This record gives sequence, C-alpha cells and structure tokens, in this order.
Amino acid sequence: MSETEALDTHLQELRRGTAVLACLRLLEKPGYGYGLLEELSARGFETDANTLYPLLRRLEKQGHLTSEWNTDEARPRKFYRTSTAGSRLATALTDDFHAIAAAIDALPGTN
Amino acid sequence: MNTTSLTERYVDAAMRTVPEKQRDDLGTELRASIDDQVEARVGNGEPHDAAERAVLTQLGDPDKLAAGYTDRPLWLIGPRYYLTWWRLTKLLWAIVPVCAAFGVALGQTLAGASFGEIVGSVFSVALAVVVHIGFWTTLVFFIVERSAHGADAGLVSPWSPDDLPEPRQRGTGLGDLIASLVFLAVAAGAIVWDHFIGFGWTPDGWASFLAPELWPWWIGALFVLMVLEALLAISVYAKGRWDIGSATVNLFLNLTVAGGALWLLSQQQLINPEFFPAVIPADSAQTVSTVVSTVFGFGIVAIALWDTVDAFLKASRARRG
Repeated sequence: MSETEALDTHLQELRRGTAVLACLRLLEKPGYGYGLLEELSARGFETDANTLYPLLRRLEKQGHLTSEWNTDEARPRKFYRTSTAGSRLATALTDDFHAIAAAIDALPGTN
Repeated sequence: MNTTSLTERYVDAAMRTVPEKQRDDLGTELRASIDDQVEARVGNGEPHDAAERAVLTQLGDPDKLAAGYTDRPLWLIGPRYYLTWWRLTKLLWAIVPVCAAFGVALGQTLAGASFGEIVGSVFSVALAVVVHIGFWTTLVFFIVERSAHGADAGLVSPWSPDDLPEPRQRGTGLGDLIASLVFLAVAAGAIVWDHFIGFGWTPDGWASFLAPELWPWWIGALFVLMVLEALLAISVYAKGRWDIGSATVNLFLNLTVAGGALWLLSQQQLINPEFFPAVIPADSAQTVSTVVSTVFGFGIVAIALWDTVDAFLKASRARRG
C-alpha cells in the first residue's frame, strides 16, 4: 500500500464517526438527503452519497432520526429530523469529541 | 420520459435484493437522490446523459449499495463464526473421510471386488465425503450467520486460557510408558495362553486361535519384536520426546509385524483352521472365517498405520516445539 493510500485509509478511520455527529446536529432542522449532502460538503464533512443514505437509514432504524415524506413539490422527498434520542446522542458525541481534541493537544511529541 | 433510462434501470437493479416492504420507500428515495444529484450537475453545465452516467458511476454497484441499506452481509461466513467453522471442518475432515474409506475398503473386500475396484471406490467415496463435509458445514454456518439478524447466535463461547492447546510433548510420560509395557506383557501372555490352552472351547477341549504351526519360530520372532517395541517405549520415555529416529524405528517394527502377519494371513497360516469349525456351526464356518480373517487383516493394517502416523506426528511436533 503506497503512502497516500495508507494516509487515506487512516484519514477515513479518523473521520468516520464525525459524519454521524454532523448529520445529527444539522438535522435538528429537517432536511433531505441531497440537501444534507451539499451542506455537509460545504461545511467540510466530505461524504459520498452511497455512504450518507445508508447512514441516514441506519440512524432512523436506531431511533435517532425520524422521517416523513414531503409531497409538496413535484419530486417527493424524504425529510429526516433528529429525534430527542438523536439530540442526546449528538450532545454525547460532541462532548466526547471535545475531550478527544483536548487529549490530543495534551499529547507529547511532534506538532 | 424514456422508461428504460439508466436511472430507472439502476433503481430497479438496486431494489431487486431489497425486501418487498422496504422497496417502494427506498426506491423512491434513491430515485429522488439520483435526480437531485443529476440536476445539480446539469446546473453546472454538464449534459444530462453524461451527468446521469457520472452520478450512477459514483454510486457504484447497485447490489452493494442495496446491501449497505439493508445491512445484508456480503460474505459467506464472517469473522464472528469463521474460526469455529474452520476448526469444525478441519476436525471432520480429519476423521470422517478416513473412516468412510476404511469402511468402503472393508466392505468391498468382503464383497469380493478386485483390487482396482477397491481402490477406485475408496478414492471416489473419500472425495465425495470430503466435498460433502465441506459443503454442509459451510451451509450450516452460512445460515447461522444470517439467522440472528446480526446478533450473536450464542454459538461461540468466549475464549479462556483453558482452551489453550496442551503442551506439545504428549505421549512420552510415565503413564504412556507403563501403558505400552503393560499392553505388550498382556499380549505376550495372551499368545502364550493361546498356545498352551487356547481360546476356543470345543467339546474336545480348548482350541487355540493362532495356528499351532506358528510355534515356536514365528511366535519367537514375534516375541523378539515385542521386546524391541518395549525397548523403544523405554527409550522414548528416557529421551522425553519422540524424534524422527524413534518414529522411523517404530515404522520398521510396525512394518515387520504387520507385514509378517498379513503374509501369514494370506497363506491361511495365521489363524488356526480348527478354530472356527470348533466354535461355530459347520455351515457358516467358512463365511465367518473369511470375514474374520479379512477384518483381522484390516485391523492389523489400521493399527500399524495409526501407530506409525501417530509416532511421526509426535516427532514432528516435538521437533517444532
């Protein structure tokens, strides 16, 4: 595995959980798949469509998101929204993330 | 709208592996998502077809996408059950084909098949057994993997240090030495008893199992070999392990004993011909004597083979350890 491939794998590992956190917090306001994809990208959480959609489904199955179909416009869209359980999870994840960031800053070694 | 558009075909392909009740919901959502992405690209100036193609390419294999949606395992047997499956399969492969081959060979010999037929049927049966074991064990674990919807089926107990394989130098302890010597002594005693008194009761007195002509020279040779076996057992105990030298000596001893016995058996000189008519009614005596001779022969071969292989296995384990 070349150095860039190894780097990509490690970066992917590092970022894997942050997509969940970002979705839960962004979906405090109801949003749909593609809109969320764009917003995540704009905010620096690069995600693929084929990762995001299964992720949304999984969170819905776990009860962290609720969904409903919006048939107002020509194209029916499924809107997701963070549930109360999801909000609690988002808070827990954010707190943990801050703790990890602080722990990293406290690490000795090269900067 | 062109009903066989790329998008439609993609959504149809993805929904094939999705269970019925989720299909509409998922299908609509996927179609909307693709349309949104294509629209965004077209808004940036790409032609529609190229945009559609690019979006679908990025989404990837529709079956893979659907599996991500439905949490369907894309493997036969996953890491949770893999070791259990492999250990069980190895164990079955080590035991069952050998037994089956042995049984088939025995049966074919008793039925009077030619050597070529015996070899052919042994080979085909052994191969069939190996394949069947591999298939059915894998199938069972395939089903188990998918049965508990991703939860643990409770098949694999947590590992503890008690599960560690035993230390390598087995079969060389005092217990083994005593067992070997006792066995040899009992065998020698049985042979002597058989000659002087006999094992088969007839109205005329006792009849011996082994042919009387074998005494004294053949039996004497057998006793010499037994003494050598005892010496080998003592040397293995003293050295504390089997090595290739001991295993080779063991091989030669087994070859001599088994070879001699089989040769005598084939000459009808091993078993006392008086024995069977004395012990069983006359009309079935011939069949029984043939059967017993054959079974005896197979038994000799099996024991000799097992003992030799076992010694070599222990030697190779000792060498590695």
